[in-house]
Amino acid sequence: MGESSAAADAYENGRYKYIHDIHKGPPEAIDVHHIVLQRSSQKKLLIFCFLTLLLFASSPFFFFFLQQLNLLTTLPWSLLLGGLFVRLLSQKLVKKESVIILPAFGVQLETQYGSGRTIRRFVPINKILKPVLNECVTPVTCYWSLALIIRGEEELMLVFKELYPPVKMLVPIWKAVCAAIDVEET
Amino acid sequence: MKSHYEKSFDQHRTKKCPVYLLDQYGYVPIANKRIVTKSVIWPVENRFITADPQLYPTSTVWIVFSNEIVLSWLRANGVFLHEPKIASFFFGLKIPDIMSENGKHRILMVSDFFFPNFGGVENHIYYLSQCLIELGHKVVVMTHAYNNRSGVRYMTGGLKVYYVPWKPFLMQNTLPTFYGTLPIIRTILIREKISVVHGHQAFSTLCHEALMHARTMGYKVVFTDHSLYGFADVGSIHMNKVLQFTLADVTQAICVSHTSKENTVLRSGLPPEKVYVIPNAVDTAMFKPAPERLSNNEIVIVVISRLVYRKGADLLVEVIPEVCRLHPNVRFVIGGDGPKRVRLEEMREKHSLQDRVDMLGAVPHANVRSVLITGHIFLNSSLTEAFCIAILEAASCGLLTVSTCVGGVPEVLPDDMIVLAEPDPSDMVQAITKAINILPQIDPQTMHLRMKKLYSWHDVARRTETVYDRALRCSSQPLLERLSRYLTCGAWAGKLFCLVMLIDCMLWQFLQLWQPDRDVEVVPDATLTSFRPEEMSWDSETLR
Repeated sequence: MGESSAAADAYENGRYKYIHDIHKGPPEAIDVHHIVLQRSSQKKLLIFCFLTLLLFASSPFFFFFLQQLNLLTTLPWSLLLGGLFVRLLSQKLVKKESVIILPAFGVQLETQYGSGRTIRRFVPINKILKPVLNECVTPVTCYWSLALIIRGEEELMLVFKELYPPVKMLVPIWKAVCAAIDVEET
Repeated sequence: MKSHYEKSFDQHRTKKCPVYLLDQYGYVPIANKRIVTKSVIWPVENRFITADPQLYPTSTVWIVFSNEIVLSWLRANGVFLHEPKIASFFFGLKIPDIMSENGKHRILMVSDFFFPNFGGVENHIYYLSQCLIELGHKVVVMTHAYNNRSGVRYMTGGLKVYYVPWKPFLMQNTLPTFYGTLPIIRTILIREKISVVHGHQAFSTLCHEALMHARTMGYKVVFTDHSLYGFADVGSIHMNKVLQFTLADVTQAICVSHTSKENTVLRSGLPPEKVYVIPNAVDTAMFKPAPERLSNNEIVIVVISRLVYRKGADLLVEVIPEVCRLHPNVRFVIGGDGPKRVRLEEMREKHSLQDRVDMLGAVPHANVRSVLITGHIFLNSSLTEAFCIAILEAASCGLLTVSTCVGGVPEVLPDDMIVLAEPDPSDMVQAITKAINILPQIDPQTMHLRMKKLYSWHDVARRTETVYDRALRCSSQPLLERLSRYLTCGAWAGKLFCLVMLIDCMLWQFLQLWQPDRDVEVVPDATLTSFRPEEMSWDSETLR
């Protein structure tokens, strides 16, 4: 790939950070949009994990006092359980989600977890009918989400599966995908 | 040398109205009493709202300060001002700063009853919303989810409907959880920048909860009652108590007829000055008479109603055989379904009236007109009715109406378009005979044109707009004064209601800490004509 102009746009919200990269290289410019979960949010989640681990670690003490179980055997088990719990959580902990628009080719959606695992989904450009900004209503709140209408399928494909970025960050991504589809059609 | 403020002060001194101060944050200081006795009036810098002195004898003037000089002058003269932030934490009210811009309101209609159900309340909300949108206001409707229909939907004219996924539990009503709907209502009110909340139907739990939460958050609230209710049975007593709670603090109330106003005022103890009477209307463009007049050889009497006790299905069972016996050229067409249908079928069998009585079953709303134009006379046998839209629809189609004289029915049509009877079978038979005799004098087209002039939804919308204007001009009271209104509801009930409201306030403050108001994203106003992304107002300037 050729040179990349780094961070054409960066916008922060306190919880999320939006970064827009444009890679200018052969054959055409590739648009990349990242939504990163902020360190402070990550820290909060890590603190929560640590507290859960502590809870698990302290549970044998309660058992010890209540039922006179052997401390030496229960302590490593509870630490192990707590550790497994934290590991599972970090696997669910999303660090970054990205949308890579490859013009005339397709759109790649990436999800990067805290443990380094990355899940990628690719959608060819001719399969996308339109990207839509939906208002999702739950029993307690209402939030915006970006989804793609795929030709031939009943269900919408969510672009950001785990994160809930604010609508200000979703709008440029929506406009970019709309533009890519318009170019393809003409 | 008098300052600008002192000059205006002298000018307004004669008006003698009590004053509530708002500082630039929009918070109300708690120590209003001191200011009220001094009768100080201050001119406003950017917002000056007066209430009509004839309507409100204790009218209030709201003033917004944005000048430290004014505040320091007041302090120097012994006027006690609370520090706004501390006062507002528990006792202040945050007034939403979207007061009517250029007179246009942003209205939230709340009810359990809306499309895809068809009924009086549902149609009322829909037509009223459409006419208000045509007048330039913004309307959003909130209701519960129906089967698969959940989320945000848009209807004709840009009417936005929130189908909130709370499942209905009894007769289309959402489960009453008291405080469960507070987060979603707060989110909707902030994101749509609502200025007035309008609730419909006393039977709707979602309406009561929404009005309670809206009042806690300081919004102006209007309530419309569509039905008459009793006083004697257990269900009615409970409902009236709930209504008393909601209406203790409502800004304005609307009833659909004068009888309904009396009923509501008696049930809830609301002062009658707060209640407006705005009758329903009918869509005369949809209900047109038949192009050719029907021949009078065979007279067809149409009945379209839910076949339940309330709608007088038992009366029909007595009346129909008698009328068929007295008038051999009369035929009946009965549309609608319900628990009493079996009784009507039995009556048909018993008197061998199969060829003279047609039972059509449930008639979808779109087909009502085609059923009505097959008839000459419309029969309404309800035992109780606040206002009967069915009669309006029949009159708009050129039918002569025979109805029981109950509730608000006498107020609906002029005397030459309707024949009234007591809810007694023999009286009704006499009324039908009288109607058959005056039938040759009726011209359906003339009737339709008269109805067009008498009733229109645009008129209802204009009158409702006046009610909203009055509501927004009402003063906002601090929490303590509002709580004192609840105490008048009853010895035990009053204290219970106060407790409920206090808990609601505390939950609201907690929610504001958990998710501050500025974190809720405001929805930009998108017009329906813009289809291309560039034309919509999704600019970074409007969003930031």
